Amino acid sequence: MFFTFFKREVFSALKRPMIYIFMFIVALLVFFAVVSDNVMIGGAVGDVHKNAPAVIGVFVSVLNIFGLLFATAFFNNAALRDYKYQFNEILFSTPLSKAGYYFGRFMGAWLLSTLVMVGVYLGVVVGGFMAPIFDWIGPERLGPTPWGAFFSSYFLFVVPNMFFAGTIIFLLATRFKSTIISFVGTLLIIVGYIISLNLTSDIDNQATAALVDVFGISAYNLDTQYFTPAERNVIGPAFSGHLLINRLLWMSIGLVILAFSYFGFSFATKAKKQKKSKKGKVATVEKKIIYQPLVPETIEEISGWQTFLSFFKINFLSMFKSSTFVILLLFSLILLISNLWGGFEYFGLKSYPVTYKMLDEVNNLSSLFVLIILVFFSGELVWRDRDNHINEVIDGTPHRSVISLVAKTLSLVSLASILHLTLMVVAILYQAFNGYTNFELNVYFRDFFTGAFLVYLTWGGLLIFIQVIINNKYLGYFASVVLLFMLDIIYLVLKIETNMLSIGGTPSTMYSDMNAFGPGVTGSFWFNGYWMLFGILTVILAALLWPRGTSKTVKDRLAAGRKALGSRYYGALGFFSVAFIVVAGFVYYNTQVLNPYKTSHEQELQQVSYERQYRKFVDAPTISVLDINYFIDIYPEARTTNGRAELLVSNKNDVALDSLIFTVSESYQQEVEIPNSELVFEDEELGFLIYKLNQPLQAGDSMEMVVRFDYTPKGFENEVSNMSVLRNGTFFNNGSILPSLGYDPNFELGDKNKRRKYELPERKRMPDLQENCSDLCMNNYLTDGTSDWVMVETFISTSEDQIAIAPGSLVSKEVKDGRAHYHYKVDHPSQNFYSFISADYQVATRPWKGIDLEVYYHPDHSINIERMLDALEKSMKYYTENFGPYYHKQARIIEFPRYATFAQAFPGTMPYSEAFGFIIDLEGEDKNNVVDAVIAHEMAHQYWAHQVIGANMKGSTMLSESFAEYSSLMVMKQGTDEVQMKDFLKYDLQRYLRGRSRETEQEQPLMKVENQGHIHYGKGSVILYALQDYIGEDKVNTALRGFLEEFRYKEPPYPTAYDFMRYLEPQVPDSLQYLIADWFEDITLYDLRMEEATAKALDNGKYEVTVNFLAKKLKADGAGNTDEATLNDWIDIGFYADRDEEELIMRQRVYLTQEEGQLSFTLDKLPAKAAIDPLRLLIDRVDDDNVKTVVVE
Amino acid sequence: MSLLKINGLNKTYPNGTRALVDVDLELSKGMFGLLGPNGAGKSSLMRTLATLQEADSGTAFLGDVDILNDPQSVRKVLGYLPQEFGVYPRITAAQLLDHIATLKGISNGNTRKDLVEYLLQKVNLYEARNKKVSGFSGGMKQRVGIAQALIGNPQLIIVDEPTAGLDPGERNRFHNLLAEVGEEVIVILSTHIVDDVRELCTDMAIMNLGQIVYKGTPADALTSLEGKVWRKTIDRSEKAAYAAQHTIISDKMVGGQPQIHVLSDQLPGEGFVEVAPNLEDVFFTTIHATVA
Repeated sequence: MFFTFFKREVFSALKRPMIYIFMFIVALLVFFAVVSDNVMIGGAVGDVHKNAPAVIGVFVSVLNIFGLLFATAFFNNAALRDYKYQFNEILFSTPLSKAGYYFGRFMGAWLLSTLVMVGVYLGVVVGGFMAPIFDWIGPERLGPTPWGAFFSSYFLFVVPNMFFAGTIIFLLATRFKSTIISFVGTLLIIVGYIISLNLTSDIDNQATAALVDVFGISAYNLDTQYFTPAERNVIGPAFSGHLLINRLLWMSIGLVILAFSYFGFSFATKAKKQKKSKKGKVATVEKKIIYQPLVPETIEEISGWQTFLSFFKINFLSMFKSSTFVILLLFSLILLISNLWGGFEYFGLKSYPVTYKMLDEVNNLSSLFVLIILVFFSGELVWRDRDNHINEVIDGTPHRSVISLVAKTLSLVSLASILHLTLMVVAILYQAFNGYTNFELNVYFRDFFTGAFLVYLTWGGLLIFIQVIINNKYLGYFASVVLLFMLDIIYLVLKIETNMLSIGGTPSTMYSDMNAFGPGVTGSFWFNGYWMLFGILTVILAALLWPRGTSKTVKDRLAAGRKALGSRYYGALGFFSVAFIVVAGFVYYNTQVLNPYKTSHEQELQQVSYERQYRKFVDAPTISVLDINYFIDIYPEARTTNGRAELLVSNKNDVALDSLIFTVSESYQQEVEIPNSELVFEDEELGFLIYKLNQPLQAGDSMEMVVRFDYTPKGFENEVSNMSVLRNGTFFNNGSILPSLGYDPNFELGDKNKRRKYELPERKRMPDLQENCSDLCMNNYLTDGTSDWVMVETFISTSEDQIAIAPGSLVSKEVKDGRAHYHYKVDHPSQNFYSFISADYQVATRPWKGIDLEVYYHPDHSINIERMLDALEKSMKYYTENFGPYYHKQARIIEFPRYATFAQAFPGTMPYSEAFGFIIDLEGEDKNNVVDAVIAHEMAHQYWAHQVIGANMKGSTMLSESFAEYSSLMVMKQGTDEVQMKDFLKYDLQRYLRGRSRETEQEQPLMKVENQGHIHYGKGSVILYALQDYIGEDKVNTALRGFLEEFRYKEPPYPTAYDFMRYLEPQVPDSLQYLIADWFEDITLYDLRMEEATAKALDNGKYEVTVNFLAKKLKADGAGNTDEATLNDWIDIGFYADRDEEELIMRQRVYLTQEEGQLSFTLDKLPAKAAIDPLRLLIDRVDDDNVKTVVVE
Repeated sequence: MSLLKINGLNKTYPNGTRALVDVDLELSKGMFGLLGPNGAGKSSLMRTLATLQEADSGTAFLGDVDILNDPQSVRKVLGYLPQEFGVYPRITAAQLLDHIATLKGISNGNTRKDLVEYLLQKVNLYEARNKKVSGFSGGMKQRVGIAQALIGNPQLIIVDEPTAGLDPGERNRFHNLLAEVGEEVIVILSTHIVDDVRELCTDMAIMNLGQIVYKGTPADALTSLEGKVWRKTIDRSEKAAYAAQHTIISDKMVGGQPQIHVLSDQLPGEGFVEVAPNLEDVFFTTIHATVA
């Protein structure tokens, strides 16, 4: 009996196209992800093979979520087929076995659901086979076909996920016999998954989140998060770790649900609810005699407006009251509340719920739910009359079809808007609930009506159109989904980037407290108009093909449609067509003619061509800047800036220069003026210029030259290309307005795989570290030979209401003719690396020992200013005491709009994004925190990078970034105990471990870091912090101070990492010299585990605690392969008084040479936990096995 | 008073079915019955007249109005109850009728409200006006259907198989309603239930295989068969033999035994009794004639 139903379920599905279509969709997605770098599933793969086992794990686990939708169809069909055809009463009256029927159907659907996901493997195999043949990607980017990963991912993800989801869907389907409820069940599972994702955003919850995640994705990520590329290439999903536990857990839950639903299932038809008729009420109804009212004899013209209203009301009400909508609304609300509750986490802090954060949340969520609403209800609306068998009556009334379609579209858009606006109201309530009372209703309003609303309108119209022309509900759904998801993929593959083809696409706008919706507003206004007209036109055109009456063929539909339109229809069609063409023309003119743009592919080609043609000039000697005077005018209202720079340049080479090479940028229209010279070569497209000097510039000689620049926007662009010159918050670097001197290797294509595709030679990220360097040390890594220490003077003007800031001290300020003019001059020669800024600022100043500590901030963001000044002062104090004098007369923090989220150090100035720091809620945070840490870091750069800078080779960013991190940690350490510092450092450790697992080239030891953030920030922090714990803070500072003193503001040669090691080595005691090799010269990892800890009460009231532990030291190569190394290390053993690991009562550093160890300690009181390396000073990939609860004997 | 004139109407479906073959009809006000077996083309004709379906050729005029080319004008004076009348979920009877009244151009809100209440009372649904139509029984739904067909001042009312699914009481009420409005306007009643026509119609036609096979008054139809219909109760085993010898109009079971009606100008044989012809005999006679 079981096999009969099982086979019937499977074979009947195999005979129908649905399963093949689903499988094909999945295979196609994966195929593209394998053969192209543009299509990504679950993130970029980096240096890992495109078909690596770990990548298969990601593909399968991510696509499985979409697979659930297919699974729903199978399970729902299996459960409902007999009911759908009303066959149940016949079937169930036969003597069939309940178990055979129930499980036969269930297992059949289960097998079918998993078969769909086989598409992933097909896509991988076919893609892996075809890609090298057609040269889409190089053969070296593919590994062998990962059969093992196919097997394990199928049994670890597909089978359990489909089983679990299947039990729920099958339960709902057999219980409620409603397709909608089944799909809602699926949605519920996905929502559960998303909530568990929110849990993971907090680092301490990872293990819990790994269990809670129904799909096992978090568990898989947790197990593999620190895998290196080499490991990812060979290790797929494994039957172990969190993943296995997670799978067993959810399979068991699934079994329980299945049992529950099986025993609750009965063949008997559920009796329909009988509504009790209220007897006696009839008698009380007043019998009103109504006479036939006078109806006008003839109807001349039907009121279009009334017809519209009536249609709108009927459509809207029935959707609004439908369970689908109510359920979607509830889910989106639950998700929003859960996101708001857990969101805005930033290194353990929360930001204020500012309006733009709310908008981001609301827009992200509603886009998903509205998409479902638009697709689902567009089909429902178009098919409503026919599905309800009322179409003949409605079509027989004299309404105009187009009015009915417009009403459908607008009711659909209104429904979507209701959801969106409800989410907004909840977001506002959340703000109020959190005591945030700056309700910017106008911002909410504008964001919705100039953004999402218009997108809904465009898509609403288009989806209605699709349903009308396709005239088959399910094919219509299919086409809608394909259009929604595949169109962008197709554009990616075809390298099309214009917003004019991406439905609903506009230049992006982003709300910033400083600069409102930003420079994309004009463009997005016109694009919105364009898309709105497009949406309206599609609805109007749909009316032509609207199947009025019962006509089936296209010819009849056209004929019937035409007769019900009338002359005004053609008027409207004409009007909107003309309006659309005019607006389209205007948009086209602005985005393609006035502001032609390069697609990312074209930019790539340009980079390739630049490198191929001019790479030969890379070593050509060139001039170096000595000092610069800037004359800059900023016009914020017009988003325009122009001006000139007068440069004094010199020939620091030992040969005479007879020609000068420049690379100029198009957007600032740079022009170079060199006296006594001639432009002998100009490549306008690539901006490559060669000037011949009439009189060669002799070695050691200098000359003057002028650079003019102008950025003036014209009309609007497809995507705003310049986010630096703004209405409020202009912020650009000297590098943007000055041309590059000589050939600029920074313009070269960096991505290793793309370089291979274009047959460019392998490119080193940085030259190798050299012990005794000559030429290479003449350039630092920041300016690469184009300048050393320069003097800068700036005359900068802006509008009267703004403050313009340039490097150095303010010499004078003058307001004249409605313009504010400023004159700045640096107090000490500095790096040729600084920014020019203009915005409407409030300024907070705190004088400190002759230095002005200043914060320039947006007037609304005043809350944290005092704390920021405190942080500046604290850093200044520590650095001047431990490292040496500060050479500027000011230290400025300057807020800039959130279009970029970083903080950066320029001489004496530190621009800091409004997205963090300024809006983080620090109330009640009396401890050091990340806002202070960032300030301390940037402040430290005033020493590390701006007083001493490394040569342009590997290891140099350690001298600036790692040292700045270290300095910042030392400032933090004051007034923070060591256990709290551990919480701080875990972010750094995680950053390093995650970063190395995504390494695209070769991991380098700290001393040879090639500008990789996870190494110089993440690993650098951990190692230098551990170092000061091992050898002492003063020893490290002595080394740093010595190094600084030798190289401070010194002309080349620049120092290398070896120069620092010269100062460090004497500070390290002999017993710890091994640390230099392990931590700086090699990649060293530790595997530390506390196995057992037992305590015994002693007679004297003390306790003897015996610990068993395991300690291994591992050395890794650049690809991430590890080898065990001999252990001769000092490692801490420590004891916590409490279970929360907050109070460390004892820490002792012990010398270990054996992998397994046992030690006993005598403690004054009974500890709760024992730990090996309790402060997490050593780099250990598994964190939670370092600690064990102490067992009392 | 306008007249409905149909000339040479043809319709062939894409699958080759000839739904309408040279249909000519002319009718004036009063009840017109259209009889025919399932698939005869009745619904195709109804839908064409109700502007829901395109014809391949031919003309149809309601008075001066060209039904086929100016459907909007016809829709203003049309009341149509399709064979399958469904309703929107989650909408009350009053809301539904109000919606349709708006679509039919009753633009004054008060008039519309009065009209809807009047019609609901007329179809005996006034008490249920604020209940969801989707919860109504088949008969109640059908009454809502009738109410909507009467909205406005329809000059042409088309009802397609209206009494299917109604209990006898409801069917009577429905007939009374139709008879009332049928005095003033053209009512086309399409059905395969002969009794409906007999009870209601002054004029009728019989359709089969897309053609009009009979046209006239019910009385004329009966007269034409006067004295030609004979009845006999026979044994089940004899059926084949009788069929070979006689033109059997119909056979049905009466009291567990087949009773046949035979068409014959004189007494067909022993045991036959002459009966007064009924419309059913007319119906079957004409149908058989077209098949043969």
